[in-house]
Amino acid sequence: MRMAAAPDTRRRTGLLAVLAAIGPGIVAASAGNDPGGISTYSAVGARYGYTLLWAMLAMTPSFIIVQEMAGRMGAVSGKGLAALIREKFGLRPSLFAMTCLLTSAIATSVAEFAGVAAAMELFGVSRYLSVPLAAAAVWLLVTRGNYRNVEKVLLALSLVFISYVAAAILARPEWTDVAQALVTPSVVPNAEFMALTVGMTGTTIAPWMQFLVQSNIVDKGITVRDWAVAKWDVIAGAISANVVACFIIITAGAVLFPAGIRITSAEEAARALEPVAGGYTTLLFSVGLLSSALLSAAVLPLTASYAITEAFGWERGLDHSWHEAPVFNGIYTFIIVFGAAFILIPGMDLITVLLLSQVVNGVLLPFLLVFMIRIVNDRQVMGPYVNSRLANILCWSTVVVVFGLTAAMFGFQIAEAVGLL
Amino acid sequence: MIYLSQMLGKPVMDATGTRIGTISDVAIATGEVFPRVTSLAFLGPDKTPFMLSWRKFVAEFDGEQVKLSVPAPEIRFSYLQPDEVLLHRDLLNKQIVDTQGMKVVRVNDLKLSESRNQLRLLGAEVGIRGILRGISPALENAVARLARLFGTHLPENLIAWNYMDLLDRDLSQVKLSVTHKRLHELHPADVADILEQLSPTQRALVFSHLDNEAAAETISELEDELQADVIDDLSESRASSLLAEMDPDDAADIIGDLPYDKAERLLRLMGVEDASAIRSLLGYKEKTAGGIMTPEVTTVTEDMTVQEVIEHLREVAEERESIYYVYVVEGDRKLTGVISLRDLLLARPDTKVTEIAERELFTAGPDDDQEDVAEQMSKYDLLALPVVDERGTLLGIVTVDDALEVLEQEAEEDLALATGAAHERGDVASLGRWVARRSAWVFIWLAVLFGDQLVRARLQAAPGGGADRPDWVLYGLALTTTASVLMPLLLRTGEESSSRAVAELITGASEEERPSLGRRLVTEGGVGLAVAAITGTVAFGLLDLQTGSERLAAVFGAATALAVLLTVLFGGLLAELALRRSDADKPVSSAMLSTASMLFAAAVYTGLSFVGGWVFSVLG
Repeated sequence: MRMAAAPDTRRRTGLLAVLAAIGPGIVAASAGNDPGGISTYSAVGARYGYTLLWAMLAMTPSFIIVQEMAGRMGAVSGKGLAALIREKFGLRPSLFAMTCLLTSAIATSVAEFAGVAAAMELFGVSRYLSVPLAAAAVWLLVTRGNYRNVEKVLLALSLVFISYVAAAILARPEWTDVAQALVTPSVVPNAEFMALTVGMTGTTIAPWMQFLVQSNIVDKGITVRDWAVAKWDVIAGAISANVVACFIIITAGAVLFPAGIRITSAEEAARALEPVAGGYTTLLFSVGLLSSALLSAAVLPLTASYAITEAFGWERGLDHSWHEAPVFNGIYTFIIVFGAAFILIPGMDLITVLLLSQVVNGVLLPFLLVFMIRIVNDRQVMGPYVNSRLANILCWSTVVVVFGLTAAMFGFQIAEAVGLL
Repeated sequence: MIYLSQMLGKPVMDATGTRIGTISDVAIATGEVFPRVTSLAFLGPDKTPFMLSWRKFVAEFDGEQVKLSVPAPEIRFSYLQPDEVLLHRDLLNKQIVDTQGMKVVRVNDLKLSESRNQLRLLGAEVGIRGILRGISPALENAVARLARLFGTHLPENLIAWNYMDLLDRDLSQVKLSVTHKRLHELHPADVADILEQLSPTQRALVFSHLDNEAAAETISELEDELQADVIDDLSESRASSLLAEMDPDDAADIIGDLPYDKAERLLRLMGVEDASAIRSLLGYKEKTAGGIMTPEVTTVTEDMTVQEVIEHLREVAEERESIYYVYVVEGDRKLTGVISLRDLLLARPDTKVTEIAERELFTAGPDDDQEDVAEQMSKYDLLALPVVDERGTLLGIVTVDDALEVLEQEAEEDLALATGAAHERGDVASLGRWVARRSAWVFIWLAVLFGDQLVRARLQAAPGGGADRPDWVLYGLALTTTASVLMPLLLRTGEESSSRAVAELITGASEEERPSLGRRLVTEGGVGLAVAAITGTVAFGLLDLQTGSERLAAVFGAATALAVLLTVLFGGLLAELALRRSDADKPVSSAMLSTASMLFAAAVYTGLSFVGGWVFSVLG
C-alpha cells in the first residue's frame, strides 16, 4: 500500500534533502493523533492535570526508536514486518503476532467509528445514521483504492488539532507547573491511573502503526542508502506527534482539570478548545475528530489485511477479486464492519470505548515489541544495521515498563474490586 | 509421508542409542527433479550446530527419530556444499515463485517421501493444509475431518522443486536439473505478471538475473504505472541500455513518464541513433498516430531491383519491428509507394522496384487519433500503416501490435463506461463500483434524509421548538421533509436519464447522426411530462392522505411534477455535454454523469418543495 508517511527522497543528501524529507511525516504523525489519541490525552489531562506529562516525555525516545526500527527493518530487508516475523519465527509465533495485530486493528477500528459517532452527535446526528454511512464511505474509499486525493483533504482537516498548541497557550497555564510536571515522575496508585497510562502508551506507540511505517518504506523502494535521509522524516513525525499530544494534555489540564470536568462525552472534551475557538469550539473539534477518524479508519484495515496475508502467503492486493483473494478482502471488510457494528450496540458509551480500545493497544504493544527487537538484532536479517546498545536498552525497558503497568493495572483492578483499596 | 515441520526438533540417536541432538535442518542436492536429502543438520548439546552426510551416516528415519549407523565418536562431520539448499533455512516460511502457476507464494511446509532409506523432496506445500499442520497436526486433522463431514476435502497444494525459484537465495551458482524452470527463463509477459506481485527490492533482484533483451521485453510488458518506477530503480547505465534495446515507441512512452532531468541523462547515455529515434517520438501527443508509431521503417529507393531490396532487408531485419512492408521513398524521405513482402517474394530478382510498387497508399497523419488509425488498419487488413506529414515525408509506421493494443484499450474504455469504472481494476473494486453505482441513489437519499434530520434537530433545539419562525418557513420545511421521503422517485428518474446518455455514448453515433440539442430536449420533454404527471399525482395523493389539505397537496404535487420534468431535461442537457466531451476525446465517467443528475434532482426537488411552502402560505 502507498501511504501518507511518505519520505519521497531518493538518493539525495545534504541539509536540503533532510528538510525536504521532513514534512510528510510530520503531517502524517499529527494525523496519527486519531480519536483514540485525542480522547485519551484529553482524559489524562482532565483527570490528572499535568501529572502525566513526564510519561509523555519519557515515552518520546522509545516512540522514536520503535518507529525508526520499523523503518530501518523495511529499508534493509525490503520486506514487511509480518513477512520478517514469519520468516524468522515460523508459523505458530506468526499466528500469535497476527492475532495481536488483528486485535489491535479491530480495537482501533472500533475507536475510529466511536470518533465518527461522537463527532456527528455533537451536531445532533444519530450514530445509527452516521456510523453506517461512514462505514460505507470508508469501505468504498478502500476498495476503489483512489483515496490519495481524499487522503490529502482528510489530512489537512485533521491538522486542526494543531490548534491545541494555540489553545494551550491561550489557556494561560502556569508554565512553571507544566515544566515541573514534565520532569517530575509521579504516580497515583490506583487502577484508573494505570489504565490511562497503559492507554496513553498504546495510543502513542500503536502496534499497527509499526506495520504501516515499515510497509511504507518497503513500497517506496527505499533502501539502506536512502534510509540515512529518510529516517529523519520518521523521527520528525514521531516528535511532532508527541508535541501535539503534550499540548492536548496541557490544554485539558489547564481548562478542564481546574473545572473538575471528568470527560464523559465528546462535548466535554471539546470544551478544552474554548480558549482558541470560542463559539466555534464544537465545529472545530468535530471536524478534526471526524476527518482523523475517517483517515485512520481507511488506512488501518488495509494495513492489517496486507500484513496478515503477507505472513501467511495468501493472495493480496486491491486489484484481486473476492474469488482470487478471499482472505485479503475478508479481513479489511471484517475490520470495518465489526468496528461500525460494535458502536451500534445500544447503550454503548463512546468515551469508554475510545479509552478502552487504547488500553487494548497498550497491553498488546510489548508482545509486538519483543518480536521487533529480536528481528532488528538478527545479523542474518539486518547485517551491520542491527540495533545499537542504547536502542536495545530503551526498547527492553519499554517492554518491561508496559508489562509492569499492565500488571499493576490488573492488580489494582482486582484489589479495588475485592475492596482492598 | 514425512513433513519437514514434523521432522524439526525430533531426536538424533547414534548407533548405541544415545541421544546426540535434535534435527534442525536437512539439505538437498539441487540437480534433480525430486532432490535427494544429502545432509542432516542437528543441534548438539549447548545448541552447537553439526552437519553430517545422510547417505553415509543415517541408518533410518522412522518419523519419530533419526537413527545413525555409527556410534557418536565415529561420525565425520561435514560442511554445507555450495550446491546444497537447506530446506528450513532457505525454503520453509520463505516466499518463492511458483513458475508453473505464475504466482508468488509462501512455503508453509515441505513434503518428503522415503524409499529405500533415501529421503526425497516431493515439493513445497503452499496451501492452507501446511498452515494448519504448522500450527498443530491435530488442528489439521480436525479441520480435514470437518471438511469431510461437509463433503469436501482439504486440498494439498504442492509445488515441485523444478518449478520453484527462490527469491531470497541466489541460485545462479547452483547447477539445477534441465527441467528446472527459473523465473527469468519464463516468457517476458509471465515474468512481468510475477514482478507485479513483488516488492521493489525483490524486483530489482529479479532484474539483475535477466539479460538486457529479456529485461527490455519484460519492462515493455509491465503495467504502465510500474514501468517508470522500475526504470527509476535501476542503475542509470543499465536503464539506458534497456531503453535502447526496446522498440523506440515503447521506450518513448516510458521516458515521457520520467522526470525531465532523469530522462535527459538516460538519453545522453544511449547511442546517438537510439536516442534520436526516441527523441523524435517524444514530441508527439499521446493517443495519436505519432504517439504510437515507430520510426524504424525499412525504406528503399525507386532505382533498386528486387534482388537489392531483399539483400537490404536481410541486413536490417534484425532491428526492425515490422518488415512486412517495404516503403519506397525519393529525395528527402518522401513516400511514393509500398511493396509487400509477398510481392517481393513472388517477383523475379531483376525486376525494378518501380514496376511492382503499389502507388495507392493508405497513410495517417501524426496527429490523427489512434483509434481512427487502428480502425483503418483493421478495416483494410494492414500489418502496418505509414505515418506521413503534410508534405508526404515518411515519419514512421504504426505496427499491427500497437494497433491491437489501441483497439483493446478502446474496448475497455467503452466497457468501463458501461459498468461505471474509471479505469481498469479487479473484481473487488468493481464490486465496490457496482455497489456504488447500483446504490448510489441510496447514499444520496440517506444524505438528504440526514440533512433533513440535521435541520429539524436545529429547529427543535431552538427556543420554543422553532414555532416562532414565519409560517412559510415551517410549511416549506414540512414539504421538504415529505420530499426527502419521496426522493428515490426523483433520484431514479435522474439516474435513468443519465444512463440513456451513456447508452448513446457507447453506440458512438457520429455528430451528423445525432439529434440537435433543441430536438433532443423536445423529445425528452415529452417523456418527462408523462413521468412528471404520474409522479405528481402520487405526491398529491400521499400528502392529501397525510394532511387532508388538498391545497397543500396540490402545491406539493405541482412541485414534484416540475422537479421531475426539470430532472429529465437536465439529463438531456447532460447527454449533449457528455457527447461533446467524448467527441473531443476526453474521458467521460458514467458514475459522474449519474451522480451529477441525481444531485441535480435532489437539489431541485428540495428547493422546489421549500418554495412550495411559500407558495402555499401566499395562496392562504
